[in-house]
Amino acid sequence: MSILANKDTYVVIQGGVAGVNAARRMAEFCYLIKRSLNVLAFVYPPDAGKAHEIPYGSGLVTVPIYKTVAEATKNHPQINTSLVYIGADRALKGGMEALDDSHIKVVSMITEGVPEKDAKILGRHATKLKKVFNGPSSIGIVSAGSCRLGVIGGAFDNLVLSKLYREGSFGVITKSGGLSNEIIWICSQFADGITTAIGIGGDAYPGTDYVSYLEMFENDPQTKAVIIVGEMGGDLEERAAEWYGAKKRRVKLMAVVSGFCQESLPKGMKFGHAGAKEGLKGEGSARAKSDALKNAGAIVPATFGALGPAIKEAYQEMLKSGQVKEPVEPASLPKLPKSIEAAMKADEVMVAPLIRTTISDDRGDEPCYDGYPASELINKGYEIPHVVGLLWDKRLISKQEAEIIKRIMMLSADHGPCVSGALGTIIAACAGIGLSQSVAAGLIMIGPRFGGAVTDAGRFFKHAVDNKMTVDEFLVYMKKNHGPVPGIGHRVKSLRNPDKRVKELVGYVKSLNMKTPCLDFALEVEKITSVKKDNLILNVDGTMAAVLVDIGFPVDSLNGFFILSRTIGLIGHWVDQKRQDSRLIRLFDYLVNYAAPKRREVPPLK
Amino acid sequence: MAKVLEGPGMGLMKKWGITVPNYVVVTSVDELTKLGQANEWLKKSKLVVKAHEALGSRFKLGLVKVDLDFKAAEAAAKEMIGRQVGSITVSQVIVSEMIPHKEEYYCAVKSTREGTDILVANCGGIEVESNWDRVKRLALEVGQQPSAEALEKVAKDAGFTGPLVKKMADFAGKMFACFDSEDAQYLEVNPVVLREQDSELIALDAVTLLDGDAKFRHPDWNFAFAAEFGRAYSKHEMEVMAVDSKIKGSVKFIEIPGGDTAMLPAGGGASVYYSDAVVARGGKLANYAEYSGDPPDWAVEVLTDKVCSLPGIKNIIVGGAIANFTDVVKTFGGIINGFRKAKSEGKLKGVKIWVRRGGPREKEGLDAMRALKDEGFDINVFDRNTPLTDIVDKALQAK
Repeated sequence: MSILANKDTYVVIQGGVAGVNAARRMAEFCYLIKRSLNVLAFVYPPDAGKAHEIPYGSGLVTVPIYKTVAEATKNHPQINTSLVYIGADRALKGGMEALDDSHIKVVSMITEGVPEKDAKILGRHATKLKKVFNGPSSIGIVSAGSCRLGVIGGAFDNLVLSKLYREGSFGVITKSGGLSNEIIWICSQFADGITTAIGIGGDAYPGTDYVSYLEMFENDPQTKAVIIVGEMGGDLEERAAEWYGAKKRRVKLMAVVSGFCQESLPKGMKFGHAGAKEGLKGEGSARAKSDALKNAGAIVPATFGALGPAIKEAYQEMLKSGQVKEPVEPASLPKLPKSIEAAMKADEVMVAPLIRTTISDDRGDEPCYDGYPASELINKGYEIPHVVGLLWDKRLISKQEAEIIKRIMMLSADHGPCVSGALGTIIAACAGIGLSQSVAAGLIMIGPRFGGAVTDAGRFFKHAVDNKMTVDEFLVYMKKNHGPVPGIGHRVKSLRNPDKRVKELVGYVKSLNMKTPCLDFALEVEKITSVKKDNLILNVDGTMAAVLVDIGFPVDSLNGFFILSRTIGLIGHWVDQKRQDSRLIRLFDYLVNYAAPKRREVPPLK
Repeated sequence: MAKVLEGPGMGLMKKWGITVPNYVVVTSVDELTKLGQANEWLKKSKLVVKAHEALGSRFKLGLVKVDLDFKAAEAAAKEMIGRQVGSITVSQVIVSEMIPHKEEYYCAVKSTREGTDILVANCGGIEVESNWDRVKRLALEVGQQPSAEALEKVAKDAGFTGPLVKKMADFAGKMFACFDSEDAQYLEVNPVVLREQDSELIALDAVTLLDGDAKFRHPDWNFAFAAEFGRAYSKHEMEVMAVDSKIKGSVKFIEIPGGDTAMLPAGGGASVYYSDAVVARGGKLANYAEYSGDPPDWAVEVLTDKVCSLPGIKNIIVGGAIANFTDVVKTFGGIINGFRKAKSEGKLKGVKIWVRRGGPREKEGLDAMRALKDEGFDINVFDRNTPLTDIVDKALQAK
């Protein structure tokens, strides 16, 4: 047997993240004792209509989320208990909603920092309705072998170590969440374990007192003794003593009370729990409470440490008198399936990876680019081109190569508002589209006719150089197999109107005395093509391509340099339009040649 | 609970219709002088000057001066502001009007398990303590309002007669309204006095304890809460409180000068048992501290820093029960960082550290603590198989 929570207890959890975490812990317990998940519903208006997936063993249980407690109990009439995880400012309303639902008999409030008045209102309302309001600030309720409400009992290993999978003989009532586990653990080490352990919460006026639970334990034949973990402040312990002393009780009462240190500390000091305060005139002191309990016939060990041996003695007596029998441990217990991460860490499974990466690793305290920590690169004077080198070509490029890349990026960062990419971004910006989409609109213009010839130019120049072609052979090869030479030709620039960017870049690279076979070849090609037509010059794409191939970048990465540098310009255009609060663009009629058929009559539908 | 100093306490009473003497709270004599030019009563009335700090026995310390004219009040304020009392500097004084009176009464409202008690006596001042049987009580259930009849009955029971019955009943009714509306836990006016000139009841002094948890529904609580233990909070205590107000979970820290056993335990309940054990074994606590509810590691690190900074400590008790959900590795990570920092600053010389803990990821957490031995810390680590407070016994036995 147990009190408050048993195999027929079904739960609605009111609240968000903390409630979901509790449901997970409850599912672990359910799995350990082989019962189905006792959480049937959540109430959390912002997510109503959705569901949470709660891990149960190696599977998942889907638990729906409702807007109100009434909706939850209507859909799951077995629900008889509510756990409240709502914030302190809304806890009163949530608690009242649960208490007022006819299906719900027990409301346990986990929320901390609930105003005293609100807790009292809830407690009184529950008494009127003959229901149980446990908490606030409750760590939960656990009945060994049958039900867990909340996170009480701790992690799965602790549930097993504390033998919570099967019933013992000791009831536990505590104000302290942390100590509830300690007592459960002690009961399982020095005796046969617990029946039910209840966290009533450390507030000044918890909804339910020790006496109400003592009555329930007294009526539960399985519970042979009850352990109270008390503290200074209030009068709950005195009331428990009064109850115990009033007549002969079946259960043995054992208790410890904390707060003796207060006798030698500054008056009025506040301890961990809201309720742990000495009353005016010294009432509610640890000593007064201990004495009252002792006088009522309870066993009150001098220290917390002496509680274990006292429990052991009580248990040995119970065994001797035949009140209890040695428990039978189950032959085997379910093991909580390990997470894949834990199993891998323990070298127990091998997993085929889904993807493979060879350039970066962000699992440490900072990203590493091809093995080099980002901060170290910064601090040793490396710059953006080096990062490009590491991530695109997995190598630490030289200072000279970095300088070339920097110049390429600066020269191609932007080319005014008229080119396709910038125009695309500007139109999107004028239409009110966000930064990333607008920039993407510009970037998708990059192709064979705009900035996207870098890769192909590099590929064909390299092909020619690798195969030692003459310019004539190359032009014939291109004409026959591919068409116009990528990287050659410009819409507005020509021999008479040269492209300064190209001149600049070529001049700089040439000044370095490095070997530039591709660039040299490209310039030879230009000599021939520009004679045929004066705008068939080597353009920016072709120059970038030739230089980048010469410093060893893989051809497949080459368009990336244009995308990277032009992104700088595209962002600029978006911000520029945004700053001006630009109007929506509509193309003027006169800019369109309406070549569609003239207006005509629609024929009857056949 | 949250104590409120006299000034804001009187402010709340005034808000609910209780007559209080004229008063001002000032932080400098200049301010008082300026207020004197603007407020007639400061010049006309006899005045009382009190240090406006959470200090016990202000009378004995000479921090209350009565029956002063404005000049004398300025002199008293000058003398008090900036005075050092222990670790506390007086930074404010409250200057209030003296109310000539002959009769003194008592009225208090306090929270009880069932609801609220209204207490009334027709004696006041220090007389109340010695005549507690003359204090009459009206008990109300939570949600219940006191009727005029019930209030008059308790006034009569307390020995009030004639027109004073209704006056006292009214006064108590307003006290209740203030208590109930302001989420108070304790309100006391001692004495309530009968002003000679117009026979009106006036609250001469106020003790106000509010429910700090209800702050969310009182946007007009624009005052700071004061310590309840007869001294103001120290700098370190306020820093930990500032961290506490920002985080999920909690960290708490109170200094106790002169102790040598520093506390760094976990859990609101267990921490008190650890403190009890120190006292029971004849040790001297250097502080009370606690962290719980799975606080972030940086918050625990701040707490550790404060604990390591306590002067003259010999032992640090890193105690704890078996946690339900506080991550032992994470919170211990904060403590370990704190210890390392303290050591690098030359602290922790000759300090022994004692650890006992259980809970989620306990093995990894305890192993990490154990590893500090290799870094030269004098640290002793125990697991759940060592009873809760045994590390205190070991610490205090160790030479």
